[in-house]
Amino acid sequence: MLAAAALVALAGIVSGCNRGTDATARPTVALVVKTLNNQFFIDMEAGARAAADSLGIELIVQAPEREIDVERQMQIVENLIQRQVKVLMLVPNGSKEIVPAVVKANAAKIPVIAVDTRVDAAALAAAGGTVTTFIGSDNEDGGRMAGAFLIERLGGTAKVAVLEGVPGHETADARLRGFRKAMAAASGMQVVASQPANMERDMAFTVTQNILQAHPEITALFACNDVMALGALEAIAAAGKAAAVSVVGFDAQDDARKAITEKRMAGTIAQNPREMGRLAVLTAHRLLKGETVAAEQPVAISLVK
Amino acid sequence: MLSRATWRRIVAGREAGTLLGLAVLCIGLWIATPFFATAANLANVAEQSVIVGVIAIGMTCVILTGGIDLSVGSLVALTGVVIGMALQRGLPVAIAVLSGLLTGAAAGAINGVMITAGRLPPFIATLGMMSVARGVALLLSDGRPIAGFPASLRMIATGDVAGMPAPVVLMLALYAVAYVLLTRTVFGRYLYAIGGNEEATALAGVNVPRQKVITYAISGLAAATCALLLVARLNSAQPVAGIGYELDAIAAVVIGGTSLLGGSGSVIGTLIGALIMSVLRNGLNLLGVSSYLQQVAIGIVIIAAVLIDMALRRRVHRST
Repeated sequence: MLAAAALVALAGIVSGCNRGTDATARPTVALVVKTLNNQFFIDMEAGARAAADSLGIELIVQAPEREIDVERQMQIVENLIQRQVKVLMLVPNGSKEIVPAVVKANAAKIPVIAVDTRVDAAALAAAGGTVTTFIGSDNEDGGRMAGAFLIERLGGTAKVAVLEGVPGHETADARLRGFRKAMAAASGMQVVASQPANMERDMAFTVTQNILQAHPEITALFACNDVMALGALEAIAAAGKAAAVSVVGFDAQDDARKAITEKRMAGTIAQNPREMGRLAVLTAHRLLKGETVAAEQPVAISLVK
Repeated sequence: MLSRATWRRIVAGREAGTLLGLAVLCIGLWIATPFFATAANLANVAEQSVIVGVIAIGMTCVILTGGIDLSVGSLVALTGVVIGMALQRGLPVAIAVLSGLLTGAAAGAINGVMITAGRLPPFIATLGMMSVARGVALLLSDGRPIAGFPASLRMIATGDVAGMPAPVVLMLALYAVAYVLLTRTVFGRYLYAIGGNEEATALAGVNVPRQKVITYAISGLAAATCALLLVARLNSAQPVAGIGYELDAIAAVVIGGTSLLGGSGSVIGTLIGALIMSVLRNGLNLLGVSSYLQQVAIGIVIIAAVLIDMALRRRVHRST
């Protein structure tokens, strides 16, 4: 009986949280991001919420606890399909792995908007699924931009370390591709270490510590996101090499911008997650009205230094 | 399916409280949202309980002996990668699946040998295996997911048996086997006996080390079965899959009323525990509850379940 009472209370609390708004009257759309432990997606959520409020749309935002948890994200999507949301905005944790969930949404006639990270085109076509539109940055171009900046800053010669994202994830892979292309084109730039740190700050700290042991001569480090760049900065500072290593990140989060102003970090590539969230909800609204939308909706990127 | 005596034992026993909890949770959600009690959503919830549910079968056996298996999440990744690599090399599906299951059972048996012959505490032995298996999975796959498998493999996750999702049918079948194993066989009785009093069981002539090695092998096999379902579901084998699954499985076992000290509990409780976890997560998604609050809610349910279980047990002790 105690168990029952506890669970009733919990169900009450939980449903109470949702009772604040009249969920039934307004169309409900959902945004599923990779995780909400990362400022990037919190900013995306803020942009989406502001747009949803101004358009009078009910917005549900959900995410798995871990960025690497593709299975949990699939469960969330399945549950939101059952919730009969009208449009699904999705930042896939795995570009291939999310395909079965997209197909399920298609079967339920829920349009899918991919935000920030693409759904793998070949896998999607093979499974017979469709994504209505993609809203996001050109990550490969961003990686190239980061590479070009380091080449210019270090006069074309440097030993470089790279912190990769979660292996197999499309956004980080695209940044890496762009960065490697820039490095390959500059004969003086030598990538001496390239290791995954899974987009996590603490893992980036440890991996950078290890890289510094093996390659104390590095003068440049590129991290596929700012979270890792900030972890790397701490490891570099702890090794007393803060002045010797130029660190470039990606995402232009507040902490990274601050580090750049304080001259601890060299630069970062600014994406605009707020704009992605806003544009996603605007697009969802247009789809609700039966309008057609462009298959690609690029969001501008820029270098912050 | 179950005999009348079995039903009576369930109703009177420890599972009753857990089952009541599940019922109340379902009724609460049925009232709170029109999207919960639909056939499609209930099938969805059942399917979502499979991943944790299957690992939790092995975890129940291990915990009944008074042990713990922290390596299952990593074994899901390792055995998944083994299956994926075998398929990638063009081996038949049956051989690929078999190699995955054997890898899981072998890794589990190694856990058992470390614990018995090596006299390592289960926590340490399986903590070590957790790291080793994850590392090997990353080494084998070069850290990258292996994707794109034959339709015959995907059927395991996407197929239907008599209108029920195939993974759910598989899970229920495995629970039935585990139920019989634990309640109707000598092997099962010895498991409870070891958890109750290991020394006395050994003195009574039971080959405790052999029994334990088999138990940890079962746990590895359950993890491999879970990997098979996960690979089929996502159409991808991930070396980073399964992180934290050991904790979800332990939570399902504990919510289901099995004592972490060993010697008492049941797989039926565990099945209900796994269902409670997936109903809760599903309900929180349907209600659009913030992802942060969801973690709080799940934590509270685990703590509440164990508190209640302990309170009930104290009352039983007083009344006997």
